[in-house]
Order: sequence, then C-alpha cells, then structure tokens
Amino acid sequence: MIELNTVTKRYGSLTAVDTVSFTVTAGECFALLGPNGAGKTTIVKMLLDFTRPTAGSLSIRGIPTTDPACRASIGYLAENHRIPPSLSGWRYLLRCAELLDLSRSDAADQCGRIVELIGMQGREHAPAGTYSKGMIQRFGLGAALVGDPKLLILDEPTSGLDPIGIRETRLLLESLKEQGMTIFLNSHLLSEVEKLCDTAAIINRGALLVKDAISAIVRDGDTLEDVFVRLVKG
Amino acid sequence: MKMPKTFPSVARIARHTFFDEMRQKSFIVMFAVCALCVFLVRGCYHGDYMVNGQHVDAGVIVRAVSKVTFHIIGAGVMVITALLSMRIFRRDRNDGTQSCVLSKPIARCQYVAGKIVGVWVVSLLFMFVLHGIVFLVTSLSLRDFMPEYLAASLLCSVNLLFVVVAVLLLSLLMPDIVAFLCVLGIGVVSFVADGISAVSHSQMAQAMMRQSGAAPHSDLTWWKAVYYVWPKLLGVQQSATSLLGSEPFQGFGSLYPFINVLLYCLVFGVALFRRFGKEDIG
Repeated sequence: MIELNTVTKRYGSLTAVDTVSFTVTAGECFALLGPNGAGKTTIVKMLLDFTRPTAGSLSIRGIPTTDPACRASIGYLAENHRIPPSLSGWRYLLRCAELLDLSRSDAADQCGRIVELIGMQGREHAPAGTYSKGMIQRFGLGAALVGDPKLLILDEPTSGLDPIGIRETRLLLESLKEQGMTIFLNSHLLSEVEKLCDTAAIINRGALLVKDAISAIVRDGDTLEDVFVRLVKG
Repeated sequence: MKMPKTFPSVARIARHTFFDEMRQKSFIVMFAVCALCVFLVRGCYHGDYMVNGQHVDAGVIVRAVSKVTFHIIGAGVMVITALLSMRIFRRDRNDGTQSCVLSKPIARCQYVAGKIVGVWVVSLLFMFVLHGIVFLVTSLSLRDFMPEYLAASLLCSVNLLFVVVAVLLLSLLMPDIVAFLCVLGIGVVSFVADGISAVSHSQMAQAMMRQSGAAPHSDLTWWKAVYYVWPKLLGVQQSATSLLGSEPFQGFGSLYPFINVLLYCLVFGVALFRRFGKEDIG
C-alpha cells in the first residue's frame, strides 16, 4: 500500500528525514513513532505531496505520491486540524465530499453517517468558531472518512481529545481496521498505539531505528514506551 | 473512489472561494461603503451646469460624469481586489483549507486556478454591480440608457484578472502587504504614465510645444520602451470607455492595452503555477 524508498528530506543544512525506507501493506495498522522533531510529520507531508523529498521516492498503491491520483483513496487528518471558522462542521464535511466528486444526495447521506460515527449529532450545524479543539479534531477525523478511503493517514488523531474522546477514537479506528482499512498513524500516545497497531516504526533525528511488528518490538515484560525510550535515548 | 474531473474541481474550488469571500465582514462593509458612495454620485446629474453663461445639455453632463465615475470605480475596485487577493493563500494555510483540499485528488494547478477564478469573479461582480448602479441611476433619472457602460465594465475585468494573478504570485514571494503595495505601485505608475502621455498628446500641449519651438521626439528612448511594455491598466479602461462614444476606437491602439495586460496575466499566471508547485503545504 505505502512504499518509501531511501527517502531523504533536507531543509538547508538540516536533514529532517535521512534515507528512510519501509513499506506498509494493505489492511495493516501502522504507527510511526518518534520524539518531537524526529521527522514524522515530514514523512506524512511527503506522502501527501505537501513537500517533495530531496532524494528517494514514495508511492501509494504503486502510484508515485507526486501524482494526485494516488490521493483518490486517502483520508487525511492533519496535526492541529483546523476548520474555517465561518463554516459549520456539516458544511465542512459536505465541502470535503464535493471535492471528491460525490453527488449531493450521496454526500448528505455519507456526512449524516459520519456525524453519527464521530458522535457530533446536534452540534454539526454550529459554526466551527464555537467548537472546542476536541470537536474540531472529531470533525477532522470525520472529514478524513468522507469518500470511504482505503487508507487513513492520521497525524496525532487524539490531540486535544479528553480520555473519553481518546477511547472513542481508538474504538472507531479499531472498527475501521476490522473493515480492512489501512491505517497510518502518527502518535505520541504509545499505550494507545500498542493497543491498536500491528506494526510500528520508530524514527529519531530523521533516521529509522526500527520497523517491525509491535509484538516483535516489545519483548516480554517491556512496554512499547520502555522500548521507545531505550531506542531514542540510545 | 474516482478521480474528480479537472474542470469541476476548479469550479468547486472557485465556488468555495467565492462564498468564503462573500462571508467576510470586511468585504460586506467595503461593498456597502462603495455602493453608497457611487449612489451619492447621482446628485451630480441633477446640477444646473453653465459654461460661458450657457446651460450645458444634461446628456453631455451625464456622459462626462459617468465616464469619470467609470474610471474611479475601475481603479477603486482594482485596489479592493488587491486587498482581497493578498490574504487568500495565507488564510487558506491558517484555516486548514489548503491542506484539506490538497489532501484530496486535486492537483495544485487546479487549486490555484480555482482560487484565481473565485477571486476574479468576486471582484468582477463587485465592479459590475457598482457600474450597474451608475447605469441604473442614469437610466432611471435621466432616461439616458447606456448599455455599452456595462459592456465596458466587463472589458475592464481584464485589469482585475491581472491584479489577482500578480498579487497571488507576489504573496508567495514576499509578505502580503508588500505584495499589495507592489501591485498598487504598478497600477499608480501605469495611471500616472498614461495620464502624462494623454496630456502630452492633447491639443493644448501640442500647441504649447509648437509655440516654444520644441520639436516632439519621435525616436525610441529607453523610458518610452518601458512605457509601452509597462502594464497598461489605465489604457484598458480608456479603451473600454471608447465604447461610451466619447473617444473614437483607434484600431490596434485601442486593442494594444488588452493584449499587453493579457500577456502579463499569462506570464504571471505561469510563474504563479510554477511557484506554487514548489510550495510546502501545511
């Protein structure tokens, strides 16, 4: 589904991502882990062609990420997701559906289902300017689900959510995973990642430290957090 | 999920941009103030004008005032268009619209084209409505119908396209306010240069030059070359007002400003698409 081939990204003298290669197979729930500034968001941006790699190549379903067609089956939730304050959550979802060429009736049906799924019934018509950070995050997740994507790329999906919201998001992602959706997760919540994901990669200072099944990374008696700290602190 | 077609994607982004602009309070206030000012001009049509002790025909007054108003509206809307355009990319970046749109199967060129069309249509309608108020006032109060006034307004939209493309391009290269000031500077130089040229070609100026014995220079100097290749924004407005009948249509001389400004739109447009293609999103 996703393939990174010796990808490097430099900003001037700073190497944000250093010859990283890995693959994520279809139906896999994958977590990209690393401390702040490790290069996780840069990798996500390169997957969406928001920024181009200095060297190497990326592809999704065999299509280079530079081709907009590869984004036809992607749902994306940005870190610190924002919604234009003049729009309501409902309008925002409809707008996302329109951009995917859905008919009005299909878009309305799908957005209605998504509003229920993200638990925002009754608040969908309020202006986004009145939403809390958690509500915006939920609508962001909803927008990523518009068009029934095959791949979800989520950059800190639980950012700003309360513990109940975090749990609900995990349950939602688990149900999506059961439906066969590929999930690419970028998160700091290692306990949630451990519960949800099948595989993980840990990067630090742009370099890939490990990429394996979580069961292989986390040995007996350890937690993912223990392994993460050990690897990152060297 | 299928790939959205190019034209509908551009049209949708343009429509979203159009409604986003219309929802801005600053836009509504600007429009209300401009419409009120233009409406107040109707007082000029009812004045009792006398030149050398003789009453001037109302039709002459209407045409003269309407023409002046036409140029003022054209120039004013260009400034407002520059103000609207300068914050388009920044606002889209800040409110997440850019990353939302570009995470869908939409190419960057489609996004930029949609933005250009959206802002251009908003500005075009802004100017057309203001010109329409003048048209209505003259039509209703003086029974002097000038449909060519509205046609001239549409022709002037070429200038608005230039302003949109130039400001969007410059806003990617420099701070928004500097981009606005640069395009404003281009417009001011164009208006001043064309104004000086019009005065120097007037009968009075020609007579004064003949009296002083100064022969008009016909050789091509560097500043003349700059003058001819500089964006002919006032030239477009003057050519458009030739439809109003006060000035004769001068063949290529009247068409040249349109060709000039459209060429600038093309060159700046290509540079804008190329520059935005290299931008980091999000």
